[in-house]
Amino acid sequence: MAEPELLLDSNIRLWVILPIVFITFLVGVIRHYVSILLQSDKKLTLEQVSDSQVLIRSRILRENGKYIPKQSFLMRKFFFNNQDDGFFKKTKRKVIPPSPMTDPSMLTDMIKGNVTNVLPMLLIGGWINWTFSGFVTTKVPFPLTLRFKPMLQQGIELLTLDASWVSSASWYFLNVFGLRSMYSLILGQDNGADQSRIMQEQMSGAAMAMPADTNKAFKAEWEALELTDHQWALEGLEEELMSKDLDLDNMFSSELPTGIF
Amino acid sequence: MASVSDMYDVTWEEMRDKLRKWREENYRNSEQIVEVGEELIQEHASKLGDDIWIIYEQVMIAALDCSRDDLATTCLHELKKQFQGSHRVKRLAGMRLEALERYDEALKMYNDILQDDSTNTAARKRKIAILKAQGKSTEAIRELNEYLEQFVGDQEAWHELAELYINEHDYAKAAFSLEELMMTNPHNHLYCEQYAEVKYTQGGMENLELSRKYFAQALKLNNRNMRALFGLYMSASHIAASPKVSAKVKKDNVKYAAWAASQINRAYQLAGHGTKETKCSLKAVEEMLESMQIMPS
Repeated sequence: MAEPELLLDSNIRLWVILPIVFITFLVGVIRHYVSILLQSDKKLTLEQVSDSQVLIRSRILRENGKYIPKQSFLMRKFFFNNQDDGFFKKTKRKVIPPSPMTDPSMLTDMIKGNVTNVLPMLLIGGWINWTFSGFVTTKVPFPLTLRFKPMLQQGIELLTLDASWVSSASWYFLNVFGLRSMYSLILGQDNGADQSRIMQEQMSGAAMAMPADTNKAFKAEWEALELTDHQWALEGLEEELMSKDLDLDNMFSSELPTGIF
Repeated sequence: MASVSDMYDVTWEEMRDKLRKWREENYRNSEQIVEVGEELIQEHASKLGDDIWIIYEQVMIAALDCSRDDLATTCLHELKKQFQGSHRVKRLAGMRLEALERYDEALKMYNDILQDDSTNTAARKRKIAILKAQGKSTEAIRELNEYLEQFVGDQEAWHELAELYINEHDYAKAAFSLEELMMTNPHNHLYCEQYAEVKYTQGGMENLELSRKYFAQALKLNNRNMRALFGLYMSASHIAASPKVSAKVKKDNVKYAAWAASQINRAYQLAGHGTKETKCSLKAVEEMLESMQIMPS
Protein backbone atom coordinates (compact mmCIF):
# COMPACT_ATOMS: atom_id res chain seq x y z
CA MET A 1 0.00 0.00 0.00
CA ALA A 2 1.63 3.19 -1.10
CA GLU A 3 1.83 5.90 1.50
CA PRO A 4 0.33 9.21 0.40
CA GLU A 5 3.19 11.51 -0.48
CA LEU A 6 3.57 14.57 1.67
CA LEU A 7 4.04 17.84 -0.11
CA LEU A 8 6.50 20.06 1.72
CA ASP A 9 6.43 23.82 1.63
CA SER A 10 9.14 25.07 -0.70
CA ASN A 11 10.06 27.60 1.94
CA ILE A 12 11.53 24.69 3.84
CA ARG A 13 13.95 24.14 1.03
CA LEU A 14 14.95 27.80 0.94
CA TRP A 15 15.18 28.57 4.60
CA VAL A 16 16.14 25.26 6.16
CA ILE A 17 18.00 22.91 3.90
CA LEU A 18 20.33 25.41 2.27
CA PRO A 19 21.18 27.31 5.49
CA ILE A 20 22.05 24.06 7.23
CA VAL A 21 24.36 23.08 4.38
CA PHE A 22 26.08 26.47 4.49
CA ILE A 23 26.42 26.38 8.26
CA THR A 24 27.92 22.92 8.26
CA PHE A 25 30.33 23.77 5.49
CA LEU A 26 31.53 27.01 7.04
CA VAL A 27 31.93 25.43 10.44
CA GLY A 28 34.04 22.73 8.83
CA VAL A 29 36.29 25.26 7.14
CA ILE A 30 36.70 27.18 10.39
CA ARG A 31 37.57 23.94 12.18
CA HIS A 32 40.24 23.25 9.59
CA TYR A 33 41.99 26.56 10.12
CA VAL A 34 41.66 26.38 13.89
CA SER A 35 43.27 22.95 13.89
CA ILE A 36 46.18 24.32 11.87
CA LEU A 37 46.68 27.11 14.41
CA LEU A 38 46.57 24.77 17.36
CA GLN A 39 48.85 22.14 15.85
CA SER A 40 51.81 21.23 17.98
CA ASP A 41 55.09 20.07 16.47
CA LYS A 42 55.80 16.43 17.02
CA LYS A 43 59.42 16.09 17.97
CA LEU A 44 60.89 12.72 17.20
CA THR A 45 63.81 11.48 19.20
CA LEU A 46 66.93 10.18 17.53
CA GLU A 47 66.20 6.71 18.81
CA GLN A 48 62.75 6.59 17.24
CA VAL A 49 64.07 7.69 13.86
CA SER A 50 66.90 5.22 14.05
CA ASP A 51 64.60 2.34 15.03
CA SER A 52 62.14 3.00 12.25
CA GLN A 53 64.97 2.95 9.73
CA VAL A 54 66.36 -0.29 11.13
CA LEU A 55 62.94 -1.90 10.75
CA ILE A 56 62.78 -0.71 7.16
CA ARG A 57 66.22 -2.15 6.48
CA SER A 58 65.26 -5.51 7.88
CA ARG A 59 62.13 -5.55 5.77
CA ILE A 60 64.12 -4.72 2.64
CA LEU A 61 66.52 -7.52 3.52
CA ARG A 62 63.64 -9.95 3.61
CA GLU A 63 62.10 -8.75 0.39
CA ASN A 64 65.13 -7.98 -1.76
CA GLY A 65 67.73 -10.22 -0.19
CA LYS A 66 67.62 -12.37 -3.25
CA TYR A 67 69.52 -9.80 -5.28
CA ILE A 68 72.68 -9.96 -3.20
CA PRO A 69 75.02 -12.94 -2.92
CA LYS A 70 74.13 -15.68 -0.47
CA GLN A 71 77.08 -14.98 1.78
CA SER A 72 76.11 -11.34 2.20
CA PHE A 73 72.52 -12.20 2.95
CA LEU A 74 73.56 -14.69 5.62
CA MET A 75 75.95 -12.16 7.12
CA ARG A 76 73.17 -9.63 7.52
CA LYS A 77 70.68 -12.18 8.79
CA PHE A 78 73.22 -13.24 11.36
CA PHE A 79 73.75 -9.65 12.43
CA PHE A 80 70.05 -9.22 13.10
CA ASN A 81 68.99 -12.58 14.43
CA ASN A 82 71.97 -14.12 16.15
CA GLN A 83 71.05 -15.87 19.38
CA ASP A 84 73.34 -14.00 21.72
CA ASP A 85 74.03 -10.61 20.28
CA GLY A 86 71.85 -10.16 17.23
CA PHE A 87 70.38 -6.70 17.00
CA PHE A 88 66.79 -7.78 17.47
CA LYS A 89 67.64 -10.00 20.37
CA LYS A 90 69.90 -7.57 22.13
CA THR A 91 68.08 -4.28 21.86
CA LYS A 92 65.41 -3.64 24.39
CA ARG A 93 63.91 -0.17 24.33
CA LYS A 94 62.59 1.38 27.50
CA VAL A 95 58.87 1.31 27.07
CA ILE A 96 56.62 3.90 28.68
CA PRO A 97 53.04 3.37 27.58
CA PRO A 98 51.85 6.80 26.52
CA SER A 99 48.82 7.16 28.77
CA PRO A 100 47.30 10.64 28.91
CA MET A 101 48.13 11.13 32.55
CA THR A 102 51.87 10.65 32.40
CA ASP A 103 52.51 12.26 29.06
CA PRO A 104 51.51 15.94 29.16
CA SER A 105 51.75 16.53 25.44
CA MET A 106 49.35 13.65 24.75
CA LEU A 107 46.91 15.18 27.24
CA THR A 108 46.90 18.55 25.53
CA ASP A 109 46.53 16.83 22.15
CA MET A 110 43.47 14.99 23.39
CA ILE A 111 41.89 18.14 24.80
CA LYS A 112 42.57 20.03 21.61
CA GLY A 113 41.06 17.22 19.57
CA ASN A 114 37.93 17.24 21.68
CA VAL A 115 37.54 20.99 21.60
CA THR A 116 37.92 21.35 17.87
CA ASN A 117 35.79 18.43 16.84
CA VAL A 118 33.32 17.05 19.31
CA LEU A 119 32.31 20.27 21.04
CA PRO A 120 31.28 22.28 17.96
CA MET A 121 29.36 19.31 16.65
CA LEU A 122 27.33 18.99 19.83
CA LEU A 123 26.73 22.72 20.15
CA ILE A 124 25.65 23.29 16.60
CA GLY A 125 23.61 20.11 16.49
CA GLY A 126 21.72 21.23 19.55
CA TRP A 127 21.24 24.77 18.25
CA ILE A 128 19.90 23.51 14.93
CA ASN A 129 17.58 21.15 16.72
CA TRP A 130 16.24 24.05 18.79
CA THR A 131 15.95 26.52 15.91
CA PHE A 132 14.65 24.35 13.15
CA SER A 133 12.24 22.21 15.12
CA GLY A 134 8.62 21.31 14.73
CA PHE A 135 8.59 20.43 11.07
CA VAL A 136 9.70 17.74 8.71
CA THR A 137 12.73 18.62 6.62
CA THR A 138 13.36 15.87 4.16
CA LYS A 139 12.74 12.23 3.33
CA VAL A 140 15.45 9.62 3.20
CA PRO A 141 15.15 7.53 0.03
CA PHE A 142 15.01 4.17 1.81
CA PRO A 143 12.36 2.87 4.21
CA LEU A 144 13.22 2.84 7.90
CA THR A 145 11.66 0.94 10.78
CA LEU A 146 9.72 2.57 13.57
CA ARG A 147 12.63 2.29 15.96
CA PHE A 148 14.35 5.15 14.17
CA LYS A 149 11.47 7.53 14.79
CA PRO A 150 12.50 9.01 18.15
CA MET A 151 16.07 9.43 16.89
CA LEU A 152 15.41 11.04 13.57
CA GLN A 153 12.13 12.83 14.20
CA GLN A 154 13.02 14.91 17.24
CA GLY A 155 10.33 17.48 17.89
CA ILE A 156 7.71 16.03 15.58
CA GLU A 157 4.96 14.42 17.59
CA LEU A 158 3.17 12.34 14.99
CA LEU A 159 2.74 8.65 15.64
CA THR A 160 1.60 7.71 12.16
CA LEU A 161 4.26 9.56 10.21
CA ASP A 162 6.56 7.34 8.17
CA ALA A 163 9.99 7.01 9.73
CA SER A 164 11.60 8.06 6.47
CA TRP A 165 10.60 11.65 7.05
CA VAL A 166 13.33 13.20 9.17
CA SER A 167 13.90 16.41 11.05
CA SER A 168 16.52 19.05 10.49
CA ALA A 169 18.88 17.65 13.09
CA SER A 170 19.31 14.48 11.06
CA TRP A 171 19.84 16.59 7.93
CA TYR A 172 22.62 18.32 9.84
CA PHE A 173 24.30 15.02 10.67
CA LEU A 174 23.94 13.85 7.10
CA ASN A 175 25.72 16.99 6.01
CA VAL A 176 28.58 16.56 8.45
CA PHE A 177 29.51 13.25 6.90
CA GLY A 178 28.50 14.04 3.35
CA LEU A 179 30.55 17.19 2.99
CA ARG A 180 33.77 15.25 3.57
CA SER A 181 34.47 14.95 -0.13
CA MET A 182 33.73 18.64 -0.61
CA TYR A 183 36.36 19.41 2.01
CA SER A 184 39.00 17.32 0.24
CA LEU A 185 38.19 19.10 -2.99
CA ILE A 186 38.53 22.55 -1.50
CA LEU A 187 40.99 22.21 1.34
CA GLY A 188 43.13 19.45 -0.13
CA GLN A 189 43.69 16.04 1.37
CA ASP A 190 44.41 15.56 5.04
CA ASN A 191 42.39 18.56 6.19
CA GLY A 192 41.36 19.32 9.73
CA ALA A 193 37.65 19.45 8.94
CA ASP A 194 37.43 15.81 8.09
CA GLN A 195 35.55 14.62 11.11
CA SER A 196 34.96 10.99 10.26
CA ARG A 197 38.65 10.50 9.59
CA ILE A 198 39.47 12.01 12.97
CA MET A 199 37.02 9.73 14.70
CA GLN A 200 38.54 6.74 12.94
CA GLU A 201 41.95 7.86 14.05
CA GLN A 202 40.84 8.16 17.63
CA MET A 203 39.54 4.62 17.53
CA SER A 204 42.60 3.11 15.94
CA GLY A 205 44.95 5.47 17.77
CA ALA A 206 45.22 3.09 20.67
CA ALA A 207 46.43 0.36 18.35
CA MET A 208 49.05 2.58 16.77
CA ALA A 209 50.93 3.86 19.81
CA MET A 210 54.45 3.84 18.44
CA PRO A 211 56.83 3.77 21.44
CA ALA A 212 55.19 0.79 23.12
CA ASP A 213 55.30 -1.13 19.90
CA THR A 214 59.02 -0.95 19.25
CA ASN A 215 59.84 -4.06 21.21
CA LYS A 216 56.92 -5.92 19.67
CA ALA A 217 57.91 -4.69 16.22
CA PHE A 218 61.44 -5.98 16.77
CA LYS A 219 60.10 -9.36 17.85
CA ALA A 220 57.85 -9.56 14.80
CA GLU A 221 60.76 -8.68 12.50
CA TRP A 222 62.96 -11.28 14.17
CA GLU A 223 60.41 -13.99 13.51
CA ALA A 224 59.83 -12.92 9.92
CA LEU A 225 63.57 -12.80 9.22
CA GLU A 226 64.12 -16.25 10.74
CA LEU A 227 61.68 -17.66 8.25
CA THR A 228 63.25 -16.03 5.21
CA ASP A 229 65.42 -18.06 2.93
CA HIS A 230 67.82 -16.91 0.26
CA GLN A 231 66.77 -17.70 -3.29
CA TRP A 232 69.37 -16.12 -5.47
CA ALA A 233 67.68 -14.28 -8.30
CA LEU A 234 70.80 -14.46 -10.45
CA GLU A 235 70.96 -18.25 -10.67
CA GLY A 236 70.36 -19.00 -14.34
CA LEU A 237 71.06 -15.48 -15.43
CA GLU A 238 73.74 -15.88 -18.12
CA GLU A 239 71.81 -18.51 -20.08
CA GLU A 240 68.72 -16.34 -20.02
CA LEU A 241 70.64 -13.24 -21.08
CA MET A 242 72.48 -14.89 -23.91
CA SER A 243 69.52 -16.65 -25.38
CA LYS A 244 68.92 -13.62 -27.56
CA ASP A 245 70.77 -10.62 -28.92
CA LEU A 246 70.89 -7.43 -26.88
CA ASP A 247 68.31 -4.82 -27.72
CA LEU A 248 70.43 -1.97 -29.08
CA ASP A 249 67.73 -0.11 -30.98
CA ASN A 250 67.98 3.64 -31.05
CA MET A 251 71.12 3.50 -29.03
CA PHE A 252 72.89 5.92 -31.31
CA SER A 253 70.46 8.60 -32.26
CA SER A 254 71.65 11.13 -34.77
CA GLU A 255 70.31 14.06 -32.80
CA LEU A 256 72.47 15.37 -30.00
CA PRO A 257 71.05 17.90 -27.54
CA THR A 258 72.70 21.27 -27.94
CA GLY A 259 72.87 23.75 -25.12
CA ILE A 260 70.47 24.03 -22.24
CA PHE A 261 67.07 23.94 -23.92
CA MET B 1 75.97 39.85 -23.05
CA ALA B 2 73.01 38.01 -24.49
CA SER B 3 70.58 36.78 -21.89
CA VAL B 4 69.63 33.14 -21.72
CA SER B 5 66.08 33.89 -22.83
CA ASP B 6 67.39 35.69 -25.91
CA MET B 7 69.93 33.10 -26.84
CA TYR B 8 67.57 30.17 -26.65
CA ASP B 9 64.34 32.05 -27.23
CA VAL B 10 62.60 30.75 -24.10
CA THR B 11 60.12 32.32 -21.73
CA TRP B 12 60.65 32.69 -18.01
CA GLU B 13 58.19 29.87 -17.37
CA GLU B 14 60.30 27.47 -19.40
CA MET B 15 63.38 28.56 -17.50
CA ARG B 16 61.61 27.97 -14.20
CA ASP B 17 60.43 24.53 -15.33
CA LYS B 18 63.92 23.62 -16.47
CA LEU B 19 65.27 24.56 -13.04
CA ARG B 20 62.61 22.43 -11.44
CA LYS B 21 63.54 19.47 -13.61
CA TRP B 22 67.21 19.88 -12.65
CA ARG B 23 66.24 20.13 -9.00
CA GLU B 24 64.05 17.05 -8.99
CA GLU B 25 66.50 14.89 -10.89
CA ASN B 26 69.48 16.04 -8.85
CA TYR B 27 71.58 17.37 -11.70
CA ARG B 28 74.89 19.00 -10.86
CA ASN B 29 75.31 21.22 -13.93
CA SER B 30 76.18 24.20 -11.76
CA GLU B 31 77.27 26.59 -14.51
CA GLN B 32 74.03 26.18 -16.38
CA ILE B 33 72.01 26.54 -13.19
CA VAL B 34 73.85 29.75 -12.35
CA GLU B 35 73.26 31.15 -15.86
CA VAL B 36 69.57 30.36 -15.96
CA GLY B 37 68.90 30.98 -12.28
CA GLU B 38 70.70 34.32 -12.09
CA GLU B 39 68.65 35.73 -14.91
CA LEU B 40 65.44 34.36 -13.42
CA ILE B 41 66.18 35.98 -10.06
CA GLN B 42 67.25 39.33 -11.47
CA GLU B 43 64.63 39.81 -14.14
CA HIS B 44 61.60 37.82 -13.09
CA ALA B 45 61.69 37.69 -9.30
CA SER B 46 58.21 39.13 -8.82
CA LYS B 47 56.55 36.67 -11.16
CA LEU B 48 57.90 33.61 -9.42
CA GLY B 49 55.89 33.92 -6.24
CA ASP B 50 56.75 31.40 -3.57
CA ASP B 51 58.90 29.36 -5.95
CA ILE B 52 61.61 31.93 -5.57
CA TRP B 53 62.84 30.64 -2.21
CA ILE B 54 63.66 27.18 -3.44
CA ILE B 55 65.26 28.68 -6.53
CA TYR B 56 67.41 30.85 -4.26
CA GLU B 57 68.59 27.71 -2.49
CA GLN B 58 69.30 25.87 -5.75
CA VAL B 59 71.15 28.81 -7.31
CA MET B 60 73.13 29.43 -4.15
CA ILE B 61 74.52 25.91 -4.04
CA ALA B 62 75.35 26.10 -7.76
CA ALA B 63 77.03 29.48 -7.23
CA LEU B 64 79.22 27.98 -4.49
CA ASP B 65 80.27 25.33 -7.00
CA CYS B 66 81.28 28.01 -9.50
CA SER B 67 83.04 30.21 -6.92
CA ARG B 68 80.47 32.96 -7.43
CA ASP B 69 80.54 34.22 -3.85
CA ASP B 70 78.74 37.44 -4.80
CA LEU B 71 75.70 35.59 -6.10
CA ALA B 72 75.80 33.15 -3.19
CA THR B 73 75.84 35.96 -0.63
CA THR B 74 72.87 37.67 -2.30
CA CYS B 75 70.81 34.51 -2.26
CA LEU B 76 71.77 33.73 1.32
CA HIS B 77 70.88 37.26 2.42
CA GLU B 78 67.40 37.00 0.88
CA LEU B 79 66.80 33.60 2.46
CA LYS B 80 67.96 34.80 5.88
CA LYS B 81 65.58 37.74 5.69
CA GLN B 82 62.64 35.53 4.88
CA PHE B 83 63.31 32.52 7.07
CA GLN B 84 64.91 33.69 10.25
CA GLY B 85 66.22 31.04 12.61
CA SER B 86 65.74 28.27 10.10
CA HIS B 87 68.06 25.29 10.28
CA ARG B 88 67.93 24.82 6.55
CA VAL B 89 69.19 28.36 5.96
CA LYS B 90 71.83 27.94 8.64
CA ARG B 91 73.13 24.89 6.81
CA LEU B 92 73.42 26.97 3.64
CA ALA B 93 75.39 29.59 5.54
CA GLY B 94 77.69 26.83 6.75
CA MET B 95 78.14 25.61 3.17
CA ARG B 96 79.19 29.07 2.10
CA LEU B 97 81.82 29.14 4.85
CA GLU B 98 83.02 25.74 3.67
CA ALA B 99 83.37 27.08 0.14
CA LEU B 100 85.55 29.88 1.51
CA GLU B 101 87.58 27.24 3.35
CA ARG B 102 86.68 28.70 6.74
CA TYR B 103 86.11 25.23 8.11
CA ASP B 104 86.22 26.01 11.82
CA GLU B 105 83.42 28.56 11.57
CA ALA B 106 81.39 26.20 9.42
CA LEU B 107 81.91 23.42 11.96
CA LYS B 108 80.65 25.70 14.72
CA MET B 109 77.47 26.47 12.76
CA TYR B 110 76.74 22.79 12.23
CA ASN B 111 77.35 21.98 15.87
CA ASP B 112 74.86 24.69 16.79
CA ILE B 113 72.24 23.12 14.56
CA LEU B 114 72.87 19.69 16.06
CA GLN B 115 72.58 21.01 19.59
CA ASP B 116 69.17 22.35 18.72
CA ASP B 117 67.96 19.32 16.84
CA SER B 118 69.91 16.11 17.16
CA THR B 119 68.05 14.36 14.35
CA ASN B 120 69.13 16.86 11.71
CA THR B 121 70.83 14.72 9.08
CA ALA B 122 71.92 17.57 6.81
CA ALA B 123 74.25 19.11 9.41
CA ARG B 124 75.84 15.76 10.21
CA LYS B 125 76.51 15.07 6.57
CA ARG B 126 78.09 18.48 6.07
CA LYS B 127 80.46 17.81 8.96
CA ILE B 128 81.57 14.62 7.23
CA ALA B 129 81.94 16.56 3.99
CA ILE B 130 84.27 18.99 5.78
CA LEU B 131 86.48 16.10 6.86
CA LYS B 132 86.52 14.82 3.32
CA ALA B 133 87.42 18.25 1.95
CA GLN B 134 90.29 18.53 4.40
CA GLY B 135 91.61 15.21 3.13
CA LYS B 136 91.09 13.35 6.40
CA SER B 137 89.54 10.31 4.76
CA THR B 138 90.01 7.85 7.63
CA GLU B 139 88.17 10.15 10.00
CA ALA B 140 85.53 10.84 7.40
CA ILE B 141 85.01 7.10 7.02
CA ARG B 142 84.76 6.64 10.77
CA GLU B 143 82.25 9.47 11.18
CA LEU B 144 80.22 8.24 8.22
CA ASN B 145 80.08 4.77 9.74
CA GLU B 146 78.78 6.20 13.01
CA TYR B 147 76.23 8.25 11.09
CA LEU B 148 75.07 5.16 9.21
CA GLU B 149 74.67 3.23 12.45
CA GLN B 150 71.99 5.72 13.40
CA PHE B 151 70.45 6.31 9.99
CA VAL B 152 70.68 3.00 8.19
CA GLY B 153 68.30 4.04 5.47
CA ASP B 154 70.26 6.94 4.01
CA GLN B 155 71.19 5.76 0.52
CA GLU B 156 73.18 8.84 -0.39
CA ALA B 157 75.39 8.13 2.60
CA TRP B 158 75.90 4.48 1.67
CA HIS B 159 77.02 5.50 -1.80
CA GLU B 160 79.43 8.06 -0.37
CA LEU B 161 80.82 5.41 1.95
CA ALA B 162 81.34 3.04 -0.98
CA GLU B 163 83.24 5.75 -2.84
CA LEU B 164 85.43 6.53 0.18
CA TYR B 165 86.26 2.86 0.65
CA ILE B 166 87.13 2.47 -3.03
CA ASN B 167 89.52 5.39 -2.71
CA GLU B 168 91.14 3.68 0.24
CA HIS B 169 91.29 0.41 -1.72
CA ASP B 170 89.22 -1.35 0.94
CA TYR B 171 87.16 -3.25 -1.60
CA ALA B 172 85.49 -5.70 0.75
CA LYS B 173 83.79 -2.92 2.70
CA ALA B 174 82.97 -1.03 -0.50
CA ALA B 175 81.24 -4.18 -1.73
CA PHE B 176 79.21 -4.31 1.51
CA SER B 177 78.01 -0.73 1.03
CA LEU B 178 77.11 -1.37 -2.59
CA GLU B 179 75.14 -4.45 -1.52
CA GLU B 180 73.01 -2.22 0.69
CA LEU B 181 72.34 -0.02 -2.31
CA MET B 182 71.53 -2.97 -4.54
CA MET B 183 69.04 -4.27 -1.98
CA THR B 184 67.19 -0.99 -1.75
CA ASN B 185 67.30 -0.34 -5.50
CA PRO B 186 67.18 -3.74 -7.18
CA HIS B 187 66.36 -2.29 -10.58
CA ASN B 188 69.22 0.19 -10.79
CA HIS B 189 71.72 -1.22 -13.27
CA LEU B 190 74.46 1.22 -12.25
CA TYR B 191 74.79 -0.15 -8.73
CA CYS B 192 75.02 -3.71 -10.11
CA GLU B 193 77.71 -2.60 -12.52
CA GLN B 194 79.74 -0.77 -9.87
CA TYR B 195 79.46 -3.76 -7.55
CA ALA B 196 80.66 -6.06 -10.32
CA GLU B 197 83.64 -3.76 -10.97
CA VAL B 198 84.60 -3.83 -7.29
CA LYS B 199 84.36 -7.61 -7.22
CA TYR B 200 86.47 -7.84 -10.38
CA THR B 201 89.11 -5.62 -8.77
CA GLN B 202 89.18 -7.74 -5.67
CA GLY B 203 90.13 -10.74 -7.79
CA GLY B 204 90.06 -14.43 -6.92
CA MET B 205 87.94 -17.05 -8.59
CA GLU B 206 84.82 -16.61 -6.46
CA ASN B 207 84.84 -12.83 -6.88
CA LEU B 208 85.37 -13.13 -10.62
CA GLU B 209 82.36 -15.42 -10.89
CA LEU B 210 80.28 -12.98 -8.86
CA SER B 211 81.45 -10.07 -10.98
CA ARG B 212 80.51 -11.90 -14.15
CA LYS B 213 77.06 -12.58 -12.72
CA TYR B 214 76.51 -8.98 -11.74
CA PHE B 215 77.76 -7.62 -15.05
CA ALA B 216 75.18 -9.90 -16.64
CA GLN B 217 72.52 -8.59 -14.24
CA ALA B 218 73.39 -5.00 -15.15
CA LEU B 219 73.04 -5.94 -18.81
CA LYS B 220 69.73 -7.60 -18.18
CA LEU B 221 68.44 -4.48 -16.45
CA ASN B 222 69.74 -2.23 -19.20
CA ASN B 223 70.71 -3.81 -22.49
CA ARG B 224 72.74 -0.78 -23.54
CA ASN B 225 75.22 -0.63 -20.69
CA MET B 226 78.42 -0.88 -22.73
CA ARG B 227 80.61 -0.84 -19.66
CA ALA B 228 78.83 -3.89 -18.32
CA LEU B 229 79.20 -5.59 -21.69
CA PHE B 230 82.95 -5.01 -21.70
CA GLY B 231 83.08 -6.08 -18.05
CA LEU B 232 81.28 -9.30 -18.91
CA TYR B 233 83.79 -9.98 -21.68
CA MET B 234 86.75 -9.28 -19.38
CA SER B 235 85.55 -11.33 -16.44
CA ALA B 236 84.52 -14.28 -18.63
CA SER B 237 87.87 -14.32 -20.46
CA HIS B 238 89.70 -13.95 -17.17
CA ILE B 239 87.99 -17.01 -15.72
CA ALA B 240 88.46 -18.97 -18.94
CA ALA B 241 92.17 -18.16 -19.03
CA SER B 242 92.82 -19.22 -15.47
CA PRO B 243 94.64 -22.56 -15.22
CA LYS B 244 92.75 -23.78 -12.18
CA VAL B 245 89.27 -24.12 -13.62
CA SER B 246 87.54 -27.29 -14.67
CA ALA B 247 86.96 -27.96 -18.34
CA LYS B 248 83.23 -27.32 -18.13
CA VAL B 249 83.64 -23.94 -16.47
CA LYS B 250 86.25 -23.01 -19.04
CA LYS B 251 83.98 -23.99 -21.90
CA ASP B 252 81.08 -22.01 -20.45
CA ASN B 253 83.15 -18.91 -19.96
CA VAL B 254 84.65 -19.09 -23.43
CA LYS B 255 81.08 -19.22 -24.72
CA TYR B 256 80.10 -16.19 -22.63
CA ALA B 257 83.13 -14.23 -23.77
CA ALA B 258 82.41 -15.04 -27.39
CA TRP B 259 78.83 -13.91 -27.05
CA ALA B 260 79.93 -10.66 -25.39
CA ALA B 261 82.44 -10.05 -28.19
CA SER B 262 79.79 -10.57 -30.86
CA GLN B 263 77.47 -8.11 -29.11
CA ILE B 264 80.26 -5.55 -28.89
CA ASN B 265 80.83 -5.93 -32.60
CA ARG B 266 77.14 -5.46 -33.25
CA ALA B 267 77.08 -2.31 -31.18
CA TYR B 268 80.01 -0.77 -33.03
CA GLN B 269 78.39 -1.71 -36.31
CA LEU B 270 75.21 0.08 -35.32
CA ALA B 271 77.22 3.07 -34.20
CA GLY B 272 78.81 3.45 -37.57
CA HIS B 273 75.45 3.30 -39.39
CA GLY B 274 77.06 1.29 -42.15
CA THR B 275 79.38 4.02 -43.36
CA LYS B 276 82.76 3.39 -44.89
CA GLU B 277 84.59 4.11 -41.68
CA THR B 278 82.68 1.31 -40.02
CA LYS B 279 84.81 -1.35 -41.59
CA CYS B 280 87.97 0.25 -40.25
CA SER B 281 86.52 0.75 -36.80
CA LEU B 282 85.21 -2.82 -36.72
CA LYS B 283 88.65 -4.09 -37.45
CA ALA B 284 89.98 -1.87 -34.65
CA VAL B 285 87.40 -3.34 -32.28
CA GLU B 286 88.39 -6.87 -33.16
CA GLU B 287 92.03 -6.10 -32.62
CA MET B 288 91.17 -4.48 -29.30
CA LEU B 289 89.25 -7.53 -28.19
CA GLU B 290 92.18 -9.72 -29.19
CA SER B 291 94.58 -7.59 -27.20
CA MET B 292 92.32 -7.76 -24.15
CA GLN B 293 92.51 -11.51 -24.06
CA ILE B 294 94.06 -12.66 -20.84
CA MET B 295 96.75 -15.18 -21.51
CA PRO B 296 97.30 -17.85 -18.87
CA SER B 297 100.40 -16.91 -16.97
